[in-house]
Amino acid sequence: MSENTLNVKLNVSDLKYSINSKVIVDGVSLDVEEGTFVGLVGPNGCGKSTLLKNIYKVYTPSRGAVYIDGKSVFEMTNKESALEMSVMQQENNVEFDMNVFDMVMLGRFAHQKMFHNDMHAEGEIVRAALREVGMEGYEERSFLSLSGGEKQRTLVARALVQQAQLIILDEPTNHLDIGYQYQIMNILKSQDVTVFSSVHDLNIAACYCDKIILMKKGRIYDVGTPEEMFVPSKIKDLFGVDTQISINSVTGKPNVIFMPDVRF
Amino acid sequence: MDKEKTPVFPLHKRSHYLCFCCIMVVILFFSFIMATTLGSVDLSEESVGKVIINQLAGREIYEPTWEESTETILWTIRIPRILTAFIVGAGLTLCGILMQVLTKNPLADPYVLGISHGASAGAVSVIMYGYLSFLGGYGTMVGAFGGAVLSIVMALKIATIRNKVTATQLVLAGIAVSALFSAITNFMIYHTKTGSDKVKTATYWMMGSLSGASWEKLKYATIAFAVCFVVILFLTKQLDVLLLGDDVASTVGVNTDKLKLVIIIIATLLTGIIVSISGTIGFVGLTIPHITRSIVGTKHKWLVPASMLVGGTFLVIADILSRVVVAPEELPIGVVSAFFGAPFFLYLIRKSNGKIGG
Repeated sequence: MSENTLNVKLNVSDLKYSINSKVIVDGVSLDVEEGTFVGLVGPNGCGKSTLLKNIYKVYTPSRGAVYIDGKSVFEMTNKESALEMSVMQQENNVEFDMNVFDMVMLGRFAHQKMFHNDMHAEGEIVRAALREVGMEGYEERSFLSLSGGEKQRTLVARALVQQAQLIILDEPTNHLDIGYQYQIMNILKSQDVTVFSSVHDLNIAACYCDKIILMKKGRIYDVGTPEEMFVPSKIKDLFGVDTQISINSVTGKPNVIFMPDVRF
Repeated sequence: MDKEKTPVFPLHKRSHYLCFCCIMVVILFFSFIMATTLGSVDLSEESVGKVIINQLAGREIYEPTWEESTETILWTIRIPRILTAFIVGAGLTLCGILMQVLTKNPLADPYVLGISHGASAGAVSVIMYGYLSFLGGYGTMVGAFGGAVLSIVMALKIATIRNKVTATQLVLAGIAVSALFSAITNFMIYHTKTGSDKVKTATYWMMGSLSGASWEKLKYATIAFAVCFVVILFLTKQLDVLLLGDDVASTVGVNTDKLKLVIIIIATLLTGIIVSISGTIGFVGLTIPHITRSIVGTKHKWLVPASMLVGGTFLVIADILSRVVVAPEELPIGVVSAFFGAPFFLYLIRKSNGKIGG
């Protein structure tokens, strides 16, 4: 291991967060290595989203610290941390409409000065990101008129133009049908960045993640490769469902088949 | 991909946008001329033009062929009033835009949220009880600002549940806050005034009027408006980002806490000053941003200047109507703006409720 130890991109150290004395995240420590795709998996209410919100500074933890490349995120201004990590949350409900181009351009905020920006170059960056997510030609379309998948891809483009080396995804593919889920994960996987994402679908997690972090009741349950983590005993323990795990002959990744306890 | 036809509105070419602004300036110019000539005494365009040129030049370029009263009516009453109408309209529109960004809700405006009523209660309390008399002419404005601060804190506290402002909460907050502060205002007026004065003063503060306009007040209001306007022009990009929600804005790099504080300070300051010179005029801050947004789009770099023009022009025209419709009497200008604004308000409520569950 010593020869190919990867640099730690994101480090969370003993993070604790509670609301009204109810502990949601209880002393979580984890590492995300540079260039890897790390998945955060756990049942509803286990504190995944809260943990991520602590990392991207929407919540302030009651204890612990978060470091990107060794720098504490809480000592960075929002602008500085926006250059280090971009965040994609679940589809946000915007009441005010704007076109796709402008929506993606907002992701460039941290890079732009108040005046005198090279808007031509900025526009090129936006168009390149739209091409990347397959939304070329949608520049003038109104964001609110898009389908769920198109909206989500627009938001991926917005995260990409931020040009941060770390992308945090807070349930990026919720409410999307299966085709879009894979499409978005493919786009993200093909980027030359570090990705830390909460993932709902175990098969998607198995397919794309280099490392899986399992969470239960606000704590880290276990950490390892998808092959190590997706075993029937652990899944039963976390989600209370029996499973059969096989290896997908095409992808070579674990395939999780659920066997609910129902008598037919 | 080209099959997707892009609609004409919102405008997306810079030249079209500038064209729209030019058209608004032309409309504003003609409304200005109309506003100077129409009223309880009709003046001819020619004498109006000559008086203005004489006054601006500071000497008699044109031989005065008109009665002296013409000049008095025009220069000391009508023109300050028209300019005040413009500043009030533009200012209320700016406050509306700011409240909408702050709450991320197109229904928000200082009147709907009851902040105008808070400001008017503050102003009335200063006038009736005179406790800020050491500030001279500024006393009313300071009082109005105080009232605005108090009411915005209340309104936002009521309207915000778990960091979200829903349409329902917003309307409820507005009802509660404006009812409370209207009651306080009326109480103070009926407590200190007697006879027909009561009704007149109450109407002034409840429905707004520009009849008290003067160069003196106009000067303060213009300076305050100009400062707020310039500050907001520097923040347009941040306002765009804030529309996406506080969480998203902060992850994209905006210092949301600081920005929201600046927005609240500017919105309350401006509301306070405007209410102190015109009373509470409703719905301008709601209607105008929405209409302008549908023409020039959501980007604040375009929206803010354009809607200032639209809002200012709207109130100049509304003021003409208020003077002409029941001449020689005068309608409170709030009545005119409500005739346009209230149906719009209902339309927006319906629209935003339609979205829930969709």
